[in-house]
Order: sequence, then C-alpha cells, then structure tokens
Amino acid sequence: MSEPAKNLDPFELARSWMAQWEKVVNEHGTEMLARPEAAQAMQAVSGAALQAQALSNDATGRMLAAANLPSRADFEALGARLAGVEAALSRIEAKLNAVAPGQDPARPAVRRTRKPPA
Amino acid sequence: MASSGFLETAQSVVDRAIQRNLKGLGYLASPAPVLGASAKDVIVSRGPMRLYHYHPLTDEVYRVPVLLVMATTNRGYIFDMVPGQSMVEFLLQRGYDVFMLDWEAPRPEDRNLALKDYVLDFVGSAVAEVRRVTGEHDVSLVGYCMGGVLSVMWSGANHSDGPKNLATFTTPVDFKQMKLFQAWSDQRYFDVDRLVDTLGLAPADMLLTAFDMLRPAGRASANFALYDNLWNEDFVKGHRMFERWTNDMLPLAGEYFRETIKLLTWENRLLEGTLKIGGKAVELDKISCPFLHITAEHDHIVTTEASAPLIDLIGSEDKEQVVLKGGHVSLIAGPNAVRRMWPMLDKWLGGRSV
Repeated sequence: MSEPAKNLDPFELARSWMAQWEKVVNEHGTEMLARPEAAQAMQAVSGAALQAQALSNDATGRMLAAANLPSRADFEALGARLAGVEAALSRIEAKLNAVAPGQDPARPAVRRTRKPPA
Repeated sequence: MASSGFLETAQSVVDRAIQRNLKGLGYLASPAPVLGASAKDVIVSRGPMRLYHYHPLTDEVYRVPVLLVMATTNRGYIFDMVPGQSMVEFLLQRGYDVFMLDWEAPRPEDRNLALKDYVLDFVGSAVAEVRRVTGEHDVSLVGYCMGGVLSVMWSGANHSDGPKNLATFTTPVDFKQMKLFQAWSDQRYFDVDRLVDTLGLAPADMLLTAFDMLRPAGRASANFALYDNLWNEDFVKGHRMFERWTNDMLPLAGEYFRETIKLLTWENRLLEGTLKIGGKAVELDKISCPFLHITAEHDHIVTTEASAPLIDLIGSEDKEQVVLKGGHVSLIAGPNAVRRMWPMLDKWLGGRSV
C-alpha cells in the first residue's frame, strides 16, 4: 500500500495532536505525580484500602473459625507443607541426577568447541 | 499533477480506512499470539523459580553456557517472543548453549522469600545447575533490569567463584535517581510494613499501575497508534506481543519487596557498598570478570542516571558501558534489538565464551 502524502493525510492532524498531547500529559503528569502531596494522597488511599482489607481478613477468619471451616491461613500452611515436599523431591531428584546423569537419547550431546568467526 | 497526487492520496487514505476496519475485526476475533515457544526443558521448578534449558540449534556450541536472568516483575518470554524476534533463538543460532532463570507468580506461602533467597538460593542454585548439566564451571551471566541487579548481587557476594562473564541490560544501581519511585515510596507516607504484613505479596496490579504512571499518557497513545496502524499487520502483531507481555506482570514476594524498598530504594545500599545478603557482603569492587553494561538512551523506567554509575563500581579491568538507542523494553526485544543489541551482545560474548 502506498504512503499517503503527509500534508494531505487527514490522520496526520490527529497524529500530530496526539503526539503533542502525549508529551504534555507525560511531562506535566509526572511532574505532578512527583510532588509530595500526590504521594501523600496516593498512600492515604492505599492505606485506607489496606485497613479495609485487614478488617475484612479478620472478620472472614472469625466467620470461618465459627463455622469450623479452614481459613486462608490454614490453606497457606498446607501450601507451605506441600512446597516443602516438592523441595525435598527436587533435592532427591538432583542427587539422583548427580549419581547417574542421564542423556536424552533423542538429543545427542553437542560439542563445546565452537570458536567465534574470525 | 496536483490533482492526480490528491487522488492517489485520497485512494490510499480510503484503502487504509477499509483495511483498518477489516483488520480491526480480525484483531478482535483472533487468538492471542503464542510466545516463548522455543523448545526447552524445565530443569528446575521450585517456588517461583523456573530454570529452562533451551535445545541447542547447532551441533557445535561455545564452551561457556549463557544463563539469562529475568526481572522478577515480568515473564521471561520477552527474551523469546516469536521466531525471528527471539533473543533466545538468535543466541541458539549463533551457537550458544542457553539457559534462562525465569519466574512464576509467588504463592501466598512464598511471602517470606527475601532478597537472600532470590540472590543466594535462586541465582546461586541456577548457576550450580547450569554447571552440573553442562559439566563446565564457567558460566556467562546475563541479567535484565532487576534480573541484572540479582546477577550483580550474586557476583558481588561470590566474587571468588563468580561468573566467567557478566552482562547487564537496563540495570539500576543508584535508586535515588529513580525519582518517581522515590517520590511514591517516600518514607513519610509509604508504610511498606503495613502493606506486606496485610497482603503478604506485593500485588501485580499495584506494580502495573506504578509502571503505567511513569508515563501517564502511554496507554492512550499506544491505543491510538494501534488504531492508526491497524492496516499494518507487522505493527499489530508487534503491538499484541508487547501489550500481552506488559500486562502479564507478576506479584512480588512480600519480604523481597520490603527489602527492595528499604535496602535499595530508601538506603541505596548497593550504590553505597553497604549491602549484605544473608550475612555476605556484596562487594562490587571485587568482581573481576569481563563486564558489559548496556543501557537504553530513552529508558523511562531505569534512567541513565540510575544505571550509569554501575560501571565504575565494578572492579573488572575488562569492562565496557554502551548506551544504545531505544527504551527499557525495545532495547532487548523488537526490531531495534534485532538490529542493535543482539549482534552487539554476540560480538562481546563470542570471544569470551571459548
């Protein structure tokens, strides 16, 4: 497809406007976001969200305990124990590989003798 | 003449408008591109750590294997997008034996993983595994962004038994120069302990928002560029690959995030030379292997001011810093990387990998 001449391309105006808008928003936006007031406001919002999350975690935990159901912490503990088993298996596998290293017969060993081109 | 030029332009504009609409519909209906598809074995899968060994594409490889270390916030397939745009494929074709230390999202029970786990355990055991699999003690370590920081930390804590070669891309060392991250993590307002103690992990969407805010107009202008270029298949393909990768952000283990904020962002210990990991001092001045430090001229995440001081901190005599055109991501992937960075890395590594 041939390139439309720039001065006749109606999209060119939009491109040029967009480039200017992007430059201005990026420059002024980052300048504004770097101000201590912006950081303070952002952290106030995220602090409130964290507070709400902590309260919700606590309430949910109590509810689950009252219903005699496992909590998130119980599942995490279970996950940690499974991860421990996985890690132990990996260590055993690594030791077995070290004792009897296997070569995949489908992929012959490569020669490690390559030199860079002169 | 003038009227025929006008007619040609009008036809071209109409053609593009039709193509935009036709291909726009195709874009919405088509499946996501398959990324990271180079043939590989997953040789370690433990917690968030994944160690891949890519299948060599040549019968004869360089003696020294290459271990790529990915940033902890993103997926490693940025190094292996699609055939023809994959740094992994490029290195394999050039005769390197390539491994990659990649990351999965940490699970809630991984919340206590700290810097020492990432540096001494994950990087350390990846190097040990590469040595075991290849039978070669020498390994070239190549780190991207925070993967570069981990690589440098491991090399500085293990300088007597470190890598044969060390290369870093867009790797920060002076965290005080990352001005916006500094502002947002201002100790007066940012309670990292509260965040980590409440959530366990640093959420991926929080990190994505922070990266997006570094360029507030970035998303809107990228969408406009997509619409403008919907007629162009290569552009659309590239846009989809990078958009998918950018949005595919990983959460961070809480303790690791807490230490990154306190030790690096607040106390700047890597630059000051006062960082200890798991009781081991990170001594960058004692790193003596060949070192290549590549930074991007238009990097809006890790600015040149944040990355440049690294070259002077490394003790090696054979060291080089190169500033290439491009941004934080286009330095390592995409058409610019194919032309500029990959051949440069090959040239630097080749002679040092025999």
